[in-house]
Amino acid sequence: MKLSFANKKISGMLTVLPANERSFIDEMANFNFPPARSLKLKEVMGYDKHRIVDGPVCVSDLAVFGMEHLFASGLLRRDEVDAIVLVTQSPDYFMPATSNVIQGRLGLGSDVYCVDINQGCAGFLVGLTQGFMLLDQPAIRKVVLINADVMSRKVSPRDRNSFPLIGDAASITILEKSVDAAPVVGSIKMDGCRRAALMIPAGGFRLPSDASTQLMEQDGDGNFRSKDHLVMDGSAVFNFVLTEVPLMIEELLESTGTAIDSIDAFLFHQPNRFMLNKLADRLKVPREKMPSNVVEHFGNASGVTIPLATVFNHRAHLRDHTMRVCLAGFGVGLTWSAMLMELGPLQFCEMIDYP
Amino acid sequence: MDEFLVEIAEILEEDTVKPTDLMDSFSSWDSLAVLSVIAMAGANFGNTLSSREVSGAATVQDLYDLIITKKTVV
Repeated sequence: MKLSFANKKISGMLTVLPANERSFIDEMANFNFPPARSLKLKEVMGYDKHRIVDGPVCVSDLAVFGMEHLFASGLLRRDEVDAIVLVTQSPDYFMPATSNVIQGRLGLGSDVYCVDINQGCAGFLVGLTQGFMLLDQPAIRKVVLINADVMSRKVSPRDRNSFPLIGDAASITILEKSVDAAPVVGSIKMDGCRRAALMIPAGGFRLPSDASTQLMEQDGDGNFRSKDHLVMDGSAVFNFVLTEVPLMIEELLESTGTAIDSIDAFLFHQPNRFMLNKLADRLKVPREKMPSNVVEHFGNASGVTIPLATVFNHRAHLRDHTMRVCLAGFGVGLTWSAMLMELGPLQFCEMIDYP
Repeated sequence: MDEFLVEIAEILEEDTVKPTDLMDSFSSWDSLAVLSVIAMAGANFGNTLSSREVSGAATVQDLYDLIITKKTVV
């Protein structure tokens, strides 16, 4: 599906990372694999350090901490927040919506539209789509798009497929109207037939959590996890990404008459370095234009990875300059999406730690 | 075939491999190697393999047959 938005822009980005940092080397002993092969995996995938919450920290904790930072720094006023779009797969509760929890904890008053969206690695683009549409309402001046996940709490520490790359984080992106904004064009596709490629089998109403869903079981590859844990079919996801994403981006570039050279940065979701390098090669994009360093420093925090790749790699530049960027997110659903836009100068573009 | 053998040897971190070699005889034949074969088959031969198909190969020859049989004209 084609997307297009006029007179809307991103005006600020903040990321919030748990201060608790773990290292792959320290965690290797938890995996049922020879150390030499785990080291090879580290080198190929770019696993090194990752940030995960220490204890029962929830999505609303990270989000409220980031929002209070923006209020205290004068980067956002409470009365400017007309909508909160929260994208998460790890809500505080089944009900109420975590966006309402955040609104209540921040004391924003009742004239705020709050909505939760259950999306993962394409969640930044789904959130942008929703936020830009909300800006068509005359009463909505600013949308606060919050991407946040604490998925480390749902990944088995003995699962070498998923644990080394998992990260927890939140990002806050401010969307607003702008008469002189360049058009934003994009594309989004979903395929629920392939929903089993990435899932947490138990804990919902289909398979409620009980003693049996907590049993740790070994898969064919030597990983241990229970049905309460996230499970990923790594090769199915890899094939999906390498097949669908280049196709979507090539179509988007072609339909907009955009040359690869004219794009300053390809800010993609950050699953691991291996997949990003393969994507860059297949698209014939120079690797230096497509950052792949988020997993090695922070881990993969689903929908937060695009803001994190942006802020970590380009924050100094984006405060005063404009970049023409191609964004792409892909993952659970399955969902995949890409957007071309002009980004910056941003009112703020920074990263903080959650203590 | 020669070029293919070089690619497989590189993935398995061996100096050379022969078509008759058993995959399970390589200590490096694990899920990462399987993913590397899938990536190589996609990049060099333009085809999509599942990890089940690749792990099912008993010998290097089986792997070659799998990738060539699946080969699509790009």
